[in-house]
Amino acid sequence: MIDKWEKWARVRMRFVALLFVGFFIAATGRAFYLQVLDNDKLVKIAEKQHQKSILLTPSRGGIYDRNNAPFAVSIEMDSCYAETRNMENIPEAAAQLAPALGYSKDELEAKLKGAKNFVWLARRMPPEQAKRVKALDLEGVGFVKESRRFYPNSQVAAHVIGFTGVDPSGLEGVEKKYDNIILGNTGYLVTERDALGRDIALKKGSEGKAGSKGSNVVLTLDKNIQYIAEKELTKTIEKNGAKAGIAIVMEPDTGRVLAMANYPSFNPNNIKELAPGAIRNRAIADSFEPGSTFKIFLVAAALEAGVIRPGDSFNCENGSCNMYGRTIHDTHKYGALTVPQILKYSSNIGAAKIGQRLGSQRLFTALTGFGFGEKSSIDLPGEVSGMLRPQEKWYGIDLATISFGQGVTATALQLTAAVSAVANGGNLMKPYLVDRIVDDEGVVLQQFGPQLKRRVVSPETARTVARMLEGVVADGGTGTGAAVDGYRVAGKTGTAQKVEGRSYSASKRIGSFIGFVPVEKPRLAIMVMVDEPTANVYGGVVAAPAFSAIAQQSLCYLNVPPDKSIKKKPAPAPEKVTPQAEQAVVEGGTVEGADAGTMPNFRGMSMRQVLRVMEQRGLNVKLQGSGRAVEQNPPPGARITTQDQVWVRFVPTA
Amino acid sequence: MFDRRLFTNFDWTLLGVVLLITAFGVINIYSASSSYRDIGTPYYLKQLYWIVAGLGLCLTVCSLDYHMLEDFAYWLYGGVLVLLVLVLVAGKTTMGATRWISLGFFNMQPSEPMKIVIIMTFARFFSRYPVFKGLTLRELVQPLLLLGIPAVLIMKQPDLGTAILVSLIAGTMLLFVGVRFSALGTIFAAAVPTVVIAWQFLLHDYQKKRIYNFLNPDLDPLGSGYHIIQSKIAVGSGATFGKGFMQGTQSQLRFLPEQHTDFAFSVFAEEWGFLGCLLMLTLYLFLILWGLGIAKRCNDRFGSLLAVGVTAMLFWHIVINMGMVIGLMPVVGVPLPFFSYGGTSMVTSMVGVGILLNISMRRFMF
Repeated sequence: MIDKWEKWARVRMRFVALLFVGFFIAATGRAFYLQVLDNDKLVKIAEKQHQKSILLTPSRGGIYDRNNAPFAVSIEMDSCYAETRNMENIPEAAAQLAPALGYSKDELEAKLKGAKNFVWLARRMPPEQAKRVKALDLEGVGFVKESRRFYPNSQVAAHVIGFTGVDPSGLEGVEKKYDNIILGNTGYLVTERDALGRDIALKKGSEGKAGSKGSNVVLTLDKNIQYIAEKELTKTIEKNGAKAGIAIVMEPDTGRVLAMANYPSFNPNNIKELAPGAIRNRAIADSFEPGSTFKIFLVAAALEAGVIRPGDSFNCENGSCNMYGRTIHDTHKYGALTVPQILKYSSNIGAAKIGQRLGSQRLFTALTGFGFGEKSSIDLPGEVSGMLRPQEKWYGIDLATISFGQGVTATALQLTAAVSAVANGGNLMKPYLVDRIVDDEGVVLQQFGPQLKRRVVSPETARTVARMLEGVVADGGTGTGAAVDGYRVAGKTGTAQKVEGRSYSASKRIGSFIGFVPVEKPRLAIMVMVDEPTANVYGGVVAAPAFSAIAQQSLCYLNVPPDKSIKKKPAPAPEKVTPQAEQAVVEGGTVEGADAGTMPNFRGMSMRQVLRVMEQRGLNVKLQGSGRAVEQNPPPGARITTQDQVWVRFVPTA
Repeated sequence: MFDRRLFTNFDWTLLGVVLLITAFGVINIYSASSSYRDIGTPYYLKQLYWIVAGLGLCLTVCSLDYHMLEDFAYWLYGGVLVLLVLVLVAGKTTMGATRWISLGFFNMQPSEPMKIVIIMTFARFFSRYPVFKGLTLRELVQPLLLLGIPAVLIMKQPDLGTAILVSLIAGTMLLFVGVRFSALGTIFAAAVPTVVIAWQFLLHDYQKKRIYNFLNPDLDPLGSGYHIIQSKIAVGSGATFGKGFMQGTQSQLRFLPEQHTDFAFSVFAEEWGFLGCLLMLTLYLFLILWGLGIAKRCNDRFGSLLAVGVTAMLFWHIVINMGMVIGLMPVVGVPLPFFSYGGTSMVTSMVGVGILLNISMRRFMF
């Protein structure tokens, strides 16, 4: 019996053993599947569960001028963090760290005792502070390099470069427009967190991932010309007591922007203390009525269309002419003027008549051709297109006023690009700011070049207009102040009334000058705009000298050989200085006649007496305050030039 | 009583394998509980105490001739049954289950010794029972009653895990003794409606939920499916070579539940990888086959049945625990013998090993 049972038992034993072995094979197979075959997915899930990234500030590429002078750079600075779980004695550590970090001890202690294991103590510390904290050599305090944006030239080209925010992305200018190129890949530290979501520790043996630096942007701007433009613009604004201003320098042949200056400006290293309006790049973001500078494009269009010839003369109606129920004024009374003279003396009536001969359709087409009413597509954010109404919506007087730059708005950049087209022989170039994108080794990743938008006028027309514009700067023209020693200058003044609400302001003006130099082979197209000058309002007075200064210094810097025979006249208070103005009547009259050459002594006079003297002499004087005159500029007996800011300050007696 | 042959015949291999597994267990508990806040004696140290205590018990058990157990079997069975009734009447309730009775100086969980006692009882029952062509249905009535009474009592606590284990152990022994196919067929036919009824009336909601979740853990990934999902993630992310000792992210960062007890093997699998799993599986397989070998080598039916029963007990613990850890089985709170932290499990398993050693070293006594 036993034997038989035993025999069966052995068989069953094998059966049971087989069952057991079968399970172990199944378990091994399952473990193999989970751990060897399917592990990728599960590893990822596990990482997602327990890893947390702490992002580091990515390093931005640099922004350089065309000669590789830095405009914006990223510098590596130490950021300091604490891993509270590795700290032995938090109150003691807090007491040591607090003075070095500029916290109060209690505040820091509270921060360290919070729920988080990973705590940023200070990000992007100044080097000496980092040194102090490092010297403490505390357990649980670590450092990591993060980059900080620095603008070595402070406010130079601030509006073009823009700036970055607290987070590393660009907020304005090139920094914003090219953010995805400049901004590097974000690096990070990896920390672990537990099932309750608490940070545990920086992952052992891993510094996370270092970010990679972004690419560098090389601009068309020239730091020196930019500086010249800004310096001269600021000088002009301050001299004329103006509110704001713009200066643009462009290479007419290519559309490269060499300088784009704005006033007021700001320091991008310290954007916390920004004055409102200071960061706006007015050169592209503001459009204004150009005024007489627009006559350049009117004349070019009319010549191109063949409706006028340079020798044609127009009756300028002695300074006053009725059109469509409105009266158009000239500042000075003229009889018949030829086309060059219309430009030279800036006759509105002459311009209106040319406009009528050309017709609204052709004028509109030509202005559109010069790029008005459309964005120039420069590589900056925030550009506006200006306002050029479609020709179907021009009514009555519109053709006449648009002919001399009223009832139409443009940006300074549009005007500069348009005048460049006249300068370069008729090609409208797309203005651009970024020349190339390079990596850290200097390898060019992307190269930008000049882009022809369209041919606007024939080379002959352009040359003819350029010659006429030279006359503006010549003796007796409105823009004599723009003349440059050693170079032939072509340009045009403009003075426009500002629109306030729905009508033209009685006192606020925009004075401007656009032109190019040297005329025979233009290297620079320059635009200067002065917003709300208070002393004198005429473009020829406020903006032309800045044009001259910028041109003079830039041409010298660029080593453009001067022609010694060309001498700028020392502003000889000409027989008949004829600063032009549109139909505006300006308080205080105009500087007139040679006897205005010296400054009388106003001291002690009442305002009424001063006004009488002024009227007699035809002086345009700014009066400040009330009461008796105590101070004046220029001093008594000094020669007055048209550029001078003439003012008298009054103080109440008694 | 202490024959010199006993010493020369002592089964060092078995004890060696068991000690090896407990050693891995202690190391693993050290890692698994390192992230716990320190309160009192650390778990790995407590586990060491339990191992020592368990070894003492193990050696005590094997010092007494196992044939004595044949005489005591029914008395022990009766005694434990009384305790099980006592638990239901006057037990301590923790976490919704009444499993413990307070014996003044320590708490006792009488369902645990039932695992051993049912083995002895069945061994005693079948050692005198002439079986030639397998048990018939009629012959099964008596043993099934012996099993059924404690199983239902344990289920009532409720402690599904232990009830299932006791049934599985007894069932394995029945299979080993031999059951006629006709009887098996009848039981199977009866089992289906029984399961349906049990599902409806006997199983608690949380027990049903566990089964639902085993079938589809993603139903409630943060609730009742959490255990299965987290264990799978931990095991799987261990990959071939593991993350290294104390480096298991899922366990060290406490994503794993019950990681020093029921899910201790998840920690091990995460930190030692597939190779570690393979090692442990091999050790356990060796242990089980060695246990069967003891049963085979034993000359008397009682000893042989006892050895098969103990081996089955260890086997089913291993199967259910590992099956749960690697997602082959639903979550049932069953520890891994010698490996998971826990005094009760350690004592039961060690007593089991004591019995195996006892049988092994007395195989030449007749």
